[in-house]
Amino acid sequence: MTDPLDFLRTPAMPVAPDPQFAAALRARLERAFLDPKGPAMPIEISTAQTAQLRTLTPYLAVADARQAIEFYAAAFGAELRGEPYLMPDGRIGHAELAVRDCVLMLADESPESDHISPATRGGSVGSMLLQVPDVDAAVGAAVARGATLTRPVADYDHGRNGVVLDPFGYRWIISAAPAASAPAAPAGEPVKHGDVSYLTYEMPDSGLAREFYGAVLGWRFTPGRVPDGWNIEGTRPMSGLAGGRPAALSSVYEVADLDLALRAVREQGGDDSDPTDQPYGRIADCTDNQGVRFSLLETDPAAD
Amino acid sequence: MTHQPGVQRDPAMALLDIYDSALPEVYGYLLPRCGARVLAEDLTAETFLAAVGASRRDGAREPTVGWLIGIARHKLVDHWRRAEREQRGLRVLSHERTEPDDPWDARLDGLLARQILAELAPHHRAALTLRYLDGLPVPEVAAALGRTVHASEALLVRARIAFRRAYESHTDVPDGGLR
Repeated sequence: MTDPLDFLRTPAMPVAPDPQFAAALRARLERAFLDPKGPAMPIEISTAQTAQLRTLTPYLAVADARQAIEFYAAAFGAELRGEPYLMPDGRIGHAELAVRDCVLMLADESPESDHISPATRGGSVGSMLLQVPDVDAAVGAAVARGATLTRPVADYDHGRNGVVLDPFGYRWIISAAPAASAPAAPAGEPVKHGDVSYLTYEMPDSGLAREFYGAVLGWRFTPGRVPDGWNIEGTRPMSGLAGGRPAALSSVYEVADLDLALRAVREQGGDDSDPTDQPYGRIADCTDNQGVRFSLLETDPAAD
Repeated sequence: MTHQPGVQRDPAMALLDIYDSALPEVYGYLLPRCGARVLAEDLTAETFLAAVGASRRDGAREPTVGWLIGIARHKLVDHWRRAEREQRGLRVLSHERTEPDDPWDARLDGLLARQILAELAPHHRAALTLRYLDGLPVPEVAAALGRTVHASEALLVRARIAFRRAYESHTDVPDGGLR
């Protein structure tokens, strides 16, 4: 079968760019070669694209910004974000590094604006807390590149960490990043009247749905109370999967007083059904004034 | 340039040696795919700077035009991915529906086809460019986009439909009546 879009085939034909651009790029490349410590530019999609300015961003003064860029790249996996700004005298006036999802700014010292590194002032003046997936590896990499170990890596109540003083005078507490699974639904935060307290994903084939959403969203399932019903673990709001039904999403809304809420449903042109008692509270299936199904739940505060 | 035996040469220097001949090739690859000079220049610069880093990292590689164009393709895909992220919020409401991919028998007008391509959503533009302008087989399109083959096939189907719909609305000719 012919595909009319095959017509779009465009073999790469050489095109000479603007000579000024060509010369400027050659100069940039030569600069990159001449600086043997020049940071390697990543080709892969890097953290530099997820990093962004957050509410608080450190801006370090360092005695040698080129070395610092090299050091933070090698020790902490930092990546340059854009080209450093060079001052006429050759100092780096501004450079931005992506450190995982955050931005770290730095510049060569500028005595004229009293932006001076702690090493020059005579010692560290505070600490930076850096969270990494592998504390031992990060501390090892920092020490291997000239940082001083000031507190060996050890396990503490608040997690595994160690402290290094980097070659520019900054003190870093390198600590284990919270595990991805840790920020689960906080226990004890009660649902309020009007919140969605439970979602049911109705799907034609629960096996296919578990395979797909397990792979895509990392959902884990445990068998539920009803046939072909599955609890989805750890999501907010609490959710379940029901197989063997046309695809739909049905919500359970929390209400403070189920009987009052059911009366309101009827007054507003909806339909209700008799509440049933469940281990977690009283629940009633309803339809709204357009026929959309939903359920109302009055959670039993004594239930777990 | 001569090299003393035993003195290791910066592998990245070989890149400067081929710069003059490789630059028009890389730029010539990017320009028709970007459709905009400034963007093509930016991506060309990104490509060469990335090549410096890459040849330092895995030193042994002798840079070639084909290798540079591979990096340029990554840069192009990254660019579209950024553009798509910026537009994603807008597209949530107009959720795409997959329709049957009817055989389409038409001879395209080259200028118009390129204009349509430039107007498509970035993820559609990326898929069609890799598949048709570059002529990559679907598994390679999938690898470049970082998607599965199955997902790339589905994306290509949607992209073709979007292209055809836009093309036909421009030509304003009912089905299949293109000259």
